[in-house]
Amino acid sequence: MEFLSIISPLFLFLVVGGTFVGIIFGAIPGMTATMAVAVCLPLTYSLGLENGLALLLGLYVGGISGGLVPAILLGIPGTPSSITTTFDGYPMAQKGEGEKALRIGICASFVGGIVSLLALYLAAPSLAEFAIEFSYVEKFLIILFALTVMAALSTDLLMGIFSGFLGIFISLIGVYDISDGGNGKLRLVPPGTEYWLDSGFSLLPVLIGVFGLAAILDQAELGVPKGQSRGDVKIGKGSSFSFSVFKGQTVNLLRSSGIGTFVGILPGVGGSAASILAYSQAKTFSKKSANFGKGEPTGLMASESGNNGLTGGALVPLLSLGIPGDSTTALLIGAFTLQGIQVGPLFIGNNPDTWNAMIFAMLVANIAMFAMMYFAIRYFALVVTIPKHVLFPIILMMCVIGAYTINYGIMFDVWTLLIFGLFGWLAVKLRLEIAPFIIGFILGPSAEIYFVKSLESFGTLSIFFTKSWIAMLLWVLIIGSLTASIYLSRRQAKIAATG
Amino acid sequence: MGNLGQVTIDFERSHLVFPILIGSILALLGIAILITRRDRIAASGPNWRQTFADMDKLRFFGTLVLTVLYFSLMVPVGNFWPNTGLGFLICSIPYVLATGLLFMHERPLRQVLVMLVIAVIGPSFVWWLFTEIFFLTLP
Repeated sequence: MEFLSIISPLFLFLVVGGTFVGIIFGAIPGMTATMAVAVCLPLTYSLGLENGLALLLGLYVGGISGGLVPAILLGIPGTPSSITTTFDGYPMAQKGEGEKALRIGICASFVGGIVSLLALYLAAPSLAEFAIEFSYVEKFLIILFALTVMAALSTDLLMGIFSGFLGIFISLIGVYDISDGGNGKLRLVPPGTEYWLDSGFSLLPVLIGVFGLAAILDQAELGVPKGQSRGDVKIGKGSSFSFSVFKGQTVNLLRSSGIGTFVGILPGVGGSAASILAYSQAKTFSKKSANFGKGEPTGLMASESGNNGLTGGALVPLLSLGIPGDSTTALLIGAFTLQGIQVGPLFIGNNPDTWNAMIFAMLVANIAMFAMMYFAIRYFALVVTIPKHVLFPIILMMCVIGAYTINYGIMFDVWTLLIFGLFGWLAVKLRLEIAPFIIGFILGPSAEIYFVKSLESFGTLSIFFTKSWIAMLLWVLIIGSLTASIYLSRRQAKIAATG
Repeated sequence: MGNLGQVTIDFERSHLVFPILIGSILALLGIAILITRRDRIAASGPNWRQTFADMDKLRFFGTLVLTVLYFSLMVPVGNFWPNTGLGFLICSIPYVLATGLLFMHERPLRQVLVMLVIAVIGPSFVWWLFTEIFFLTLP
């Protein structure tokens, strides 16, 4: 219980404060939990690892949870993971049951968060212990598997794979680091740019650009749509909330939370897939499936427990394998790197206090999220009316601080922010997939080391197939995920063709 | 599978092994995309024209121009008062004000004044927080 010494009033304040700010970010359409973490990352530079993580985990839980507010009240998902919340939450609000719908969503979010936290606490150490035995070969195949899973779940398989490899390629720009066993020589650096690109592009400016600046450019392109006025937010008092609405919903809540957690564990899949899968399963098994989409609380519960189930799940691969579960946890890798900590199989064993503090922070964040949103939902509902012309300039300024201070004052990092902000905006137009790109960018340098060192050690490509039963199993999983994806996309095309 | 795929890596050229491999895969994937989506790519011209036509050009390009100016001026301005972060503060106030005004749809005097107050207080608070409390380097 030595980790209790880490739990200071500041730690608790940062978790609760982070959750509060996260809810606000999540509640404003066009702003996401990822953006909340990206913008607040510079605040963690001076906080130390545990306090910094306390803030970021609060932001993460709050950001995912806050998305239900505009989803229910305006029919606009505050975050991508709240998309299915609009299906039944918005019709409920239209019927004057806005407050009831919000409270149902908040309770379901809390259940999802706690179930996934439990899964994180139980699964991550076991998976990490198992992964400690992995050699470079298995580690390389794990990264390959992570990329294929992400690509397979992309809207377009081929573009998803291309995006992942593009991310890897860009991550290789710069010197092949001697500290990683490389030969210290430059590659992929255009002549004249050696001074700036010696170490390649820094991770955090890339992430802040792609998730922060790109989102604002996207809104600027649309003319920065006007926000909602107070008159648009109708919370309603038509039907009061009672916990009896959850009677007979235990299976739905647990199944949806479990689905969310499982989807979270799959690298890079993201919250929208979690809530869509949870919602579709709830619809399949419900006796009232005909009411789905018309204001059925069961659907709302499935969506919200599913997307909050993601929060703990996405941390499992991050903390046990060093592979981020979604874009927000990808930013957490940046926070760890800042503090000189490498996440991977050894992390939990070597940092038990940090691990326990993280679990505690997640627990407090979920409780704080529930308490704040349940009792003050009328006030949070007004957050959707904060004008964007006030928020966006401040966010842009915070993005600059995050990029500039990451390497203690390198202006090139600020330009990197702009380059990747533009890239992120353009990528969507070119139908590139951002999640595989980012995961490829993060994992590219590790993939290179594992691949090259495997070949240097064993001298044959066949080692990737014959090293161990785990390697063979990973190939089965890689081929399986690609085959399933091709099958599903063909079936979808067939259904679309037959109308 | 004894000798199948035998590879010897020359340490002096080991920095090129993975980039060449990934570059080759990217090229193959690029060709596959060009072949399988040739119709869509060929027809993309009108889509781009439509995107450009629908775009709020003033706000989009205005944001870009202001951001490039902001980034370009921070360091030269900051060089007048080295290690104080004043370059950041002095450039951030007009930047926040200008982008805020650019993003507004109507600009009644009251809202403009509110934006002006935010543009002064926001960057000043952030500057104070990061330089005085967190001791971080700002331009």
